[in-house]
Amino acid sequence: MVHLLSYIVFIPLIAAVLVLLTPRAYKHLYRVLTILGLGLTLILIIFAISGFDTAVQGAINSESNLQLVEKTEWFSISLGSMGKFSVDYFVGTDGLNIGMLLLAGIVLLIGAIASWNIKDKQKAYFGLYLLLSSSILGCFVALDFFLFYLFFEFMLLPMYFLIGIWGGPRKEYAALKFFLYTLVGSILILIVMIGLYNSVYDPVKTAIEAGYEANQVEQVQQLVQDGTIKSNQIVKSFNMIHMADADNYIPGSFLHKSSLAQIFGQPARWIAFLALLIGFAIKLPAVPFHTWLPDAHVEAPTPISVVLAGILLKVGGYGLIRTAFVMFPDSAYHYSWLIGFFGMFAIIYGALNALAQKDLKKLIAYSSVSHMGFVLMGLAAMTVEGISGAIYQMYSHGLISAMLFLIAGVIYDRTHDRMIENYGGLASKMPKYTVFVAIAFFASLGLPGFSGFIAELMVLIGSFKSSAVPAWMPIVATTGLVLAAGYYLWTMQRMFFGKFWVKDKNWVESLTDLNPREYLMLVPLVILIFAFGLYPSLLLDLINNSVESLADHLFQFRK
Amino acid sequence: MIELQDIILPKGDPMIYWMIALLAIPFFSFLTSQKIGSKAPQWATFLLGLNTLLAIYLTATHWNSAALTMRGHWFKVGESQITYSFLLDRLTLIMSVIVNFISLLVHLFSQEYMRKDKAKPRYYAFLGLFTFSMMGIVLFNDLLFIFIFWELVGLSSYLLIGFWFEKKSASIAANKAFIMNRIGDIGFITGLMIFYTQFQSFDLEVIKSLMIDSEIKDGNWVAQFTNNGQVIINTLDGRWLSAAGIALFCGAVGKSAQFPLQVWLPDAMEGPTPVSALIHAATMVAAGVYLLARVFVILDAQALEVVAIVGAITAFMAAIAALSQFDIKKVLAYSTISQLGYMVMAMGIGAYTSGLFHLVTHAFFKAGLFLSAGIIIHQLHKLESKDVMFNAQDMRVMGGLRKHMPKTFFCFLIFALALAGLPGFSGFLSKDAILLDLAVWADIKGGGFYIPEVLAFGTVLFTSFYTLRMILLIFFGNFRLPVIMQKNELSNELKDGNWIMMAPVIILAALSLGPVFGLTLNPEHSWFVEAMPTPIYLVPAVYAAKSLVDVSPETFEALHGLVNAVSIGLALIGIVIGYLAYKPNAKLEQEFVERREPRGFFGQVSFYHWYQDALYTKAILKFVMLKAQALSWFDKHVIDGFVDGFAKSQVIFAHLMKWFDRYFVDGLVHLTVFTGGRIGQLTRSIQSGNVQAYILTSFVFLILLMLYLVF
Repeated sequence: MVHLLSYIVFIPLIAAVLVLLTPRAYKHLYRVLTILGLGLTLILIIFAISGFDTAVQGAINSESNLQLVEKTEWFSISLGSMGKFSVDYFVGTDGLNIGMLLLAGIVLLIGAIASWNIKDKQKAYFGLYLLLSSSILGCFVALDFFLFYLFFEFMLLPMYFLIGIWGGPRKEYAALKFFLYTLVGSILILIVMIGLYNSVYDPVKTAIEAGYEANQVEQVQQLVQDGTIKSNQIVKSFNMIHMADADNYIPGSFLHKSSLAQIFGQPARWIAFLALLIGFAIKLPAVPFHTWLPDAHVEAPTPISVVLAGILLKVGGYGLIRTAFVMFPDSAYHYSWLIGFFGMFAIIYGALNALAQKDLKKLIAYSSVSHMGFVLMGLAAMTVEGISGAIYQMYSHGLISAMLFLIAGVIYDRTHDRMIENYGGLASKMPKYTVFVAIAFFASLGLPGFSGFIAELMVLIGSFKSSAVPAWMPIVATTGLVLAAGYYLWTMQRMFFGKFWVKDKNWVESLTDLNPREYLMLVPLVILIFAFGLYPSLLLDLINNSVESLADHLFQFRK
Repeated sequence: MIELQDIILPKGDPMIYWMIALLAIPFFSFLTSQKIGSKAPQWATFLLGLNTLLAIYLTATHWNSAALTMRGHWFKVGESQITYSFLLDRLTLIMSVIVNFISLLVHLFSQEYMRKDKAKPRYYAFLGLFTFSMMGIVLFNDLLFIFIFWELVGLSSYLLIGFWFEKKSASIAANKAFIMNRIGDIGFITGLMIFYTQFQSFDLEVIKSLMIDSEIKDGNWVAQFTNNGQVIINTLDGRWLSAAGIALFCGAVGKSAQFPLQVWLPDAMEGPTPVSALIHAATMVAAGVYLLARVFVILDAQALEVVAIVGAITAFMAAIAALSQFDIKKVLAYSTISQLGYMVMAMGIGAYTSGLFHLVTHAFFKAGLFLSAGIIIHQLHKLESKDVMFNAQDMRVMGGLRKHMPKTFFCFLIFALALAGLPGFSGFLSKDAILLDLAVWADIKGGGFYIPEVLAFGTVLFTSFYTLRMILLIFFGNFRLPVIMQKNELSNELKDGNWIMMAPVIILAALSLGPVFGLTLNPEHSWFVEAMPTPIYLVPAVYAAKSLVDVSPETFEALHGLVNAVSIGLALIGIVIGYLAYKPNAKLEQEFVERREPRGFFGQVSFYHWYQDALYTKAILKFVMLKAQALSWFDKHVIDGFVDGFAKSQVIFAHLMKWFDRYFVDGLVHLTVFTGGRIGQLTRSIQSGNVQAYILTSFVFLILLMLYLVF
């Protein structure tokens, strides 16, 4: 199907427009429209994956690696002697984003189902939710940095309002904190983007501009490096694939591999990498840029928590791979020790913090911080196992954390209280719910059979094998697995075991077992978590070739 | 050079369906028992019976055929193919029979024991899950899959210990068991990391083949092989070879309750007693020993030394702890830890055969001990009523039970004698085999390696002591409960268990007799020892331990008489001391009944198991919780405080800017306007009409100037 990715990205937007056009008298249609729109999107995503050719194997910095590519010039402005400012509408998939696309499709639909009970300002809610969905999906498929950044920023606004309007008691604080934190990250990314734009040219367009054939790319690259092609013939580019190829950097430019430019006494490329790293680490979030997460989660309504933990954090991890690691492999190697260390640190720091939490949602938020540490560590390893593990962890955590927040939502819906100490012995009152909680907890603590285990195992073996991070880091990180067992089982024991007891007598009536809508959300997640735990090939076959290319791409800079 | 892909080629055999069936039947029981509801006990028992028959059938047909391997591909990451493989050899077969058979007996026994429990279906479902996971460990020949099922065994143990989840102590014990096992498991994972890094596979066949081929060069451990024709040379520091073995052993330390992680096992007695018999005596805790047997050939000398020393320490510590317990299940739990220590030590000294032999004999007599204890507890529970409340596991309420429960007494006696290792019972043969190997090992090693030998022989003495103490306190003297409760009629109500409970116990008693395993008193003549010879180490020669296989039979012969005499002698001394101390109306027996806890330093150390638990809860757990709280404070006040402080300072700065803007910049504008106005008024008379335009122009210029200055 032509323009498949565009359909995937813009169908939620069309649905948003439809929601806005639907008169208030038909407000019960809003949620139906949302679910239909996102359902259709998911079907198209599955269609895209079924047509995804796992045999395609190209370098990570070549467009031959991409599938379902759509590339047209969006706008271009001639800047005279400074060349040409051109932005493409460029989307496509490879192994790095195809899994994320699927995850986004699944979690967004489940989030939509979880939004069923939203009563307040429905038109605005569903409109913003669909806008958010569109920008997330766009962010995952965009391959033009300008376009990527646009989608990236567009996620911010709906999220701000979704937390700030439909959130809990401290919603304004949480929303503003989320907004400002992410904005700081965005600014860092923006600066690097501008720097990259000034340093990278499009060899194909330059070839045409300089009077060569479009297939003479290598020759043109040679001529540019020689200085034969003058700067006024060079067409600069936001193309993220071109940015990954060292030959596409304009000689003498700021971020050229042999650039002598320095910032704070460090090579410019290192600083640019660090800026991207911090920019996306805020989104991931990595310690110490994580404090917006517990607040945002606690205050956000359940479906927004689900989307936040399930997908938004993964934009950070995905962005890190797609920009920082792919475009600055040399700097990535230089900082691998640091990244690995922060990964390990986050695993343990997040887990210890989770152990001390009294609020169920905060506990889950800190467990997310801990689990995202595995993503950092796997990436720092730069081995195929490590990177695959990092991507697998993002994917698996997307499903598991979505389930965890839905579970927290179940209890909150009934009592409007999330304090662990206010409950006891729920297992005898809500046995079915307890089963799902146990599944989610054990999945999250990395029990084999669930998807999290595969991810964590691959990260650990990948980092141990790696020459980029020292062997003691993954060994120390394993203590995170014990701590995870500690905080989950302790919560299980306090809230679900023992004699039934709740703080408020009035809750006893309202604590009923799961209803059909909750089953509808939880059961598919359980199936998926099992499926990806038992058949890792479901995802690994899709990503394997790209990850291998990426590992090769990074390997050439090994110390 | 070895081509990796040649070894991991998918390999099928029709037998694989039978092996999958061995896994599938208990899993099916897990899935269906809950749904079946009230008929779950019969249904689950039927399925387990089927599985046991299958295991026996496989053993009968394949005992003498060469080991069969089956393999498939699971997933591919990069160039590494992750496989799963089954192995059918004698070790697999014998473990399959033991696991299924004891599981079946426990299913039968539970028909009566759990009759009144409302959550029966859940109980049988969990038993099915356990049997499934245990069979997974046994059938797979792949470290990754062994680990997967290893964790699942931990899960089922968690679920069964916490089966009565409304009891707070039960859920705490379940947590403790899972977390202690997890601590061991991170060691196991580290082992996985090392072997994968070196050999690019978790498959034990690959690891073994490449291990023979690997070598030590300049202190580095080098493995060379090809993968899809591509030559791969992996080099690790030689110490990682020892570390790999020790790491895998950590897994065994957790599961087989070895020092320093053994504290979870006594608490695990919170679970139903049949569960204790199955999981915490016969099978799950033996999994660590089984793992050591599976990876025996790839352990180097240093790792094996660690295994031996940890085993000996565990055996001794637990035997001491068993001396003074009040709770019958606690005595049995410590005794289990102690016996597991023997098995682990056996693996460490290279006594593969003897260790496995003890695993088998112990599985029967310890399961038997737990089930007979279960009968006693169950029958005592029947005496409970509104005004008669007591702890049915406390030996202080028992005494003289041999008159009330003669059949149970008789069986219990057989198990106890096997545990104490007296000639004529199965435990004697296997313990004797271990002690003989140990003596030979200590002679080879010399020096400090005599310490394990001393500990192990000391354990023999203590074992027979606490065994006799247990028998005397439970079965001899007077029935103390009626005296304590001052209700004489209670003593008439206590009876032997019914046949559903007795039958499994009697079967196990029969299997605990010496002739089942060997007709003479020399373990060398046992069919088991002949069937399971000790394999040769495969690690590079520099790192390999000296194998007991290479020791001449004469050396064993020479020591055999002495070892036999010493072990029997020590056992008898233990029995005599035990009798003198705890015979009815002896001083210690009297004290025992009256006291809350033993007196004196030695008694306290024993009763509180060397204060290990206290150390863990008061020091380590508290430390972790404090650290968690401190970090949480740090997170909230320092990191977040910095962020909030930064935001606040920005707001203050913004307010300052606003003030500046209003009073200074704006003031300037007003001043200009004001001045302009005045000038205008002054000049109006001169040049009326155009001044407003001039002022407007200058105002615009002022704004432009400001914009320029700001940006």
